[in-house]
Amino acid sequence: MLSLDFLDDVRRMNKRQLYYQVLNFGMIVSSALMIWKGLMVITGSESPIVVVLSGSMEPAFHRGDLLFLTNRVEDPIRVGEIVVFRIEGREIPIVHRVLKIHEKQNGHIKFLTKGDNNAVDDRGLYKQGQHWLEKKDVVGRARGFVPYIGIVTILMNDYPKFKYAVLFLLGLFVLVHRD
Amino acid sequence: MAAAAVQGGRSGGSGGCSGAGGASNCGTGSGRSGLLDKIDDKPVKIDKWDGSAVKNSLDDSAKKVLLEKYKYVENFGLIDGRLTICTISCFFAIVALIWDYMHPFPESKPVLALCVISYFVMMGILTIYTSYKEKSIFLVAHRKDPTGMDPDDIWQLSSSLKRFDDKYTLKLTFISGRTKQQREAEFTKSIAKFFDHSGTLVMDAYEPEISRLHDSLAIERKIK
Repeated sequence: MLSLDFLDDVRRMNKRQLYYQVLNFGMIVSSALMIWKGLMVITGSESPIVVVLSGSMEPAFHRGDLLFLTNRVEDPIRVGEIVVFRIEGREIPIVHRVLKIHEKQNGHIKFLTKGDNNAVDDRGLYKQGQHWLEKKDVVGRARGFVPYIGIVTILMNDYPKFKYAVLFLLGLFVLVHRD
Repeated sequence: MAAAAVQGGRSGGSGGCSGAGGASNCGTGSGRSGLLDKIDDKPVKIDKWDGSAVKNSLDDSAKKVLLEKYKYVENFGLIDGRLTICTISCFFAIVALIWDYMHPFPESKPVLALCVISYFVMMGILTIYTSYKEKSIFLVAHRKDPTGMDPDDIWQLSSSLKRFDDKYTLKLTFISGRTKQQREAEFTKSIAKFFDHSGTLVMDAYEPEISRLHDSLAIERKIK
């Protein structure tokens, strides 16, 4: 049987080789993790790569586009720029354009956003009683994008079983395959 | 005279083996089939078109021949080195993960930066280690000196099989414990000589090659 044949390989491994297979898997996961954390440190943003989930920024961004963000403290937020922000209490970040800004002498700003494809501004989306966003809500500013690739992420989130199946198979393959 | 003493020692050894009786595989008649039974519960069968599986099975069988037939002791130093480097790298990654979880992003920036840089430095060290120190060696075995006085002789096996090629090169290196000089022997053969059409490794064809390599190095040692 096919399954028994490749398990044979595993059975023939001694302790050290088994540990090396597990380490191999760990290294692949660690590499991905470290690249992500490295991007976080370099861009200064908590979530340096996001996927556009809705069509509220068409025709600039479509559902499924991948955005690269930076969040440098030195960059001022100006009207017309596209920011990605998170509303308090919600975990999904939103990608919209800055419409109005109130700026104080000490640099503290309050701003209002609106999606290009929306009819009204985002006040309806903000928290109850909140009328303006502040710098601390910003996840980052869009610096570049890749179209369509994010559709895979959207699919994985819509069908979580598919995601787990793919991850499980990949993990199994790495654990069993030697070198 | 010295060669005859070695032969006598070997046949005496297998006689002692059958005398002991307890070991299940020693009592099966001639020394050769006893070696086959020990090698695996069933003969090694792999997908003959998968290059890495072929190389791994040939490497493993060469390892078994050296360890079981000649009773050398395997030295895990090289492998342990690689495992340690990998473990340290994963440790840095885990530290980064946990620290970031406990102190959300902006505060954890310096620790994260440190972990990321250390991780990639460890990756660099690992690459240098596997390229220069390990160098496709998959077995380091020691022959313990029977008198216990001289340092051990070291046998190293390394092999190579190019992608999509059928020529397998096995190199056996002998480093004398006493004189520290190094001698090597190698052979390059097509893998078709060792596998039958269903992908089973035929030890009858493979084992003599290894023994020949080994003996060519051992005999030179005796003469010197």
